[in-house]
Amino acid sequence: MIHADRLSKVFGSYRALDNVSFEVNQGEVVGFLGPNGAGKSTTMRILTCFISPSSGGASVHGHDVFDDPLSVRRSLGYLPQRAPIYPDMTVWEYLEFVAKMRGLDASTFRSRMKKIVEVCGLAQSLGKDIGTLSHGYRQRVGLGQALVHDPPILILDEPTSDLDPNEKAELIKYIQQIGKDRTILLSTHNLNEVEQACARAIIVSKGRVVADGALEDIRAKTGRVRYVVVVDEKNALKGSAPKDKEVRELLEKMKGVERVKEIPTDDRAHAFELAGEQDGDLRGQLFRAFVEKGWVLLELRRDAQKLEDVFHELTRSDERLARGYTDEDDDDDDDGDDDDGDDEEKKG
Amino acid sequence: MHTLYIAQRELKSYFTSPLAYVVICLTQLLLGVLFFMYRGGFWQVDRATLDRLFEYAPYGLCLLVIPVVTMRLIAEEKSTGTLEMLITLPVNDWEVVLGKYLGALGLVLILILTTVIYPIAMFVWPWNLGTIDWGPVKSGYLGLGLMSAAGTAIGLLISSVTRSQVIAFFVTFATLFGLVVLTGFAGDFANRAGVGTVVNFIGFQSHMTNFARGLIDTRSVVYFLSITIFSLMIAFRALESRKWK
Repeated sequence: MIHADRLSKVFGSYRALDNVSFEVNQGEVVGFLGPNGAGKSTTMRILTCFISPSSGGASVHGHDVFDDPLSVRRSLGYLPQRAPIYPDMTVWEYLEFVAKMRGLDASTFRSRMKKIVEVCGLAQSLGKDIGTLSHGYRQRVGLGQALVHDPPILILDEPTSDLDPNEKAELIKYIQQIGKDRTILLSTHNLNEVEQACARAIIVSKGRVVADGALEDIRAKTGRVRYVVVVDEKNALKGSAPKDKEVRELLEKMKGVERVKEIPTDDRAHAFELAGEQDGDLRGQLFRAFVEKGWVLLELRRDAQKLEDVFHELTRSDERLARGYTDEDDDDDDDGDDDDGDDEEKKG
Repeated sequence: MHTLYIAQRELKSYFTSPLAYVVICLTQLLLGVLFFMYRGGFWQVDRATLDRLFEYAPYGLCLLVIPVVTMRLIAEEKSTGTLEMLITLPVNDWEVVLGKYLGALGLVLILILTTVIYPIAMFVWPWNLGTIDWGPVKSGYLGLGLMSAAGTAIGLLISSVTRSQVIAFFVTFATLFGLVVLTGFAGDFANRAGVGTVVNFIGFQSHMTNFARGLIDTRSVVYFLSITIFSLMIAFRALESRKWK
């Protein structure tokens, strides 16, 4: 349904996309991930024929983006980042305008609107000026206009960025629902959403595809699993209660442990995060070591690597460049970059 | 059809903001003052004619109305990002350019039409200040229409190459100032050398005086239409260039 073939895009001296190839098949809901400025929006703009690639090609629903941009646009619904909509129109006027532009007749439009109002939660705001709506509602209107012609393909650029948690959850639920018979390419920063709504993800970084596959495969990509260990800080079965240094030393010495990082917790416990081999299981070993020391183990957990960690790992060099680091130093992730999409917008 | 929908939306948006009303009122006021009071105005001419209207209207249109109306056309859509929403609908770029152009031109023409109140009120009803020769009035309005078509196209072109409405306003103002005012001066100065004729021809006013006198010169019609088409074509290219930048 969506086919991108060695897409490159150069803005002046800045290489926004570098040989990006991927395919999205019918009925797939694919998460399109990457840090800000990685080229997500650029890719989407190429797929919607807003801009042209510097080299490479793409087709949507069998239509080439160079030869037949109108057919491409007809077959898809697109929600650009930040849902830019005319502020001087009411919601109804705007959706009617879009429907007219898409060639819908009045009765089809009305019947589609029933569904859209329900799905996007617009019943209360149909008569309001878009300029007076909150960001979240504007986003809903943007989603509404993408759905108005019931397209087989949806391209959504950060559809949840301005929504509150309830709205996000609802939208994700809806995407799951419509994703059953539609093809959806969804870009987002929120990895939880991808885990909920998508079976497959494409991760881009610095204009390149760094991972593409089922979520399971991507999670396994780093070849590690994650352990969380929480030890009581106040009490011990024998001896004195452990200090965080002692726990860290013990963990670092342990065979098979690749990385130890203290994670924040309350003042009654020490919590650490470890990384271990994908195939191994360190839980028994950890338990025995703590029993030997007489420390009280409050929690011990083994997770598959979180998508978030994989994302961090795969896109870290991006972040380092942006912050002006040049040489490698040890792990400094988990600073929770809650970016807001500004950078990317400017580059477009 | 797309073109008409866009034009309709554009025209409507002028009237949902105060812009259209402000421009119309201000122009009427200014035109009234110029027509009746400045240099003795209409009374000084002492003939049943609208010469003064056609003399001053181009200044009002080119130096105030057209820059204000056209500044936002594409610049605003670029800076707010709505252009992306519009263009990713199944429309051609030329339909966007033409639609926006027609929307803006529509407002300017509405404004010009509101001045018809002058000849009607003065020579038909309620006052009858003499018998007016309708020929020059009609040709004068045709001239104003053609001139506005050209001016609006220039404004659209300038709005399509910038993101800033302020810049669009001033550049359009300066360009039209050059075409309406400067070429008049320069033409007068350089008249002896023969260059004056050329400079005069480039300016709007030499063509407008013909229309106001009741002379529909094909050269003038072609002149205004060429400017219109040429500007629209460049605006189209400018819009399209976003793809390759």
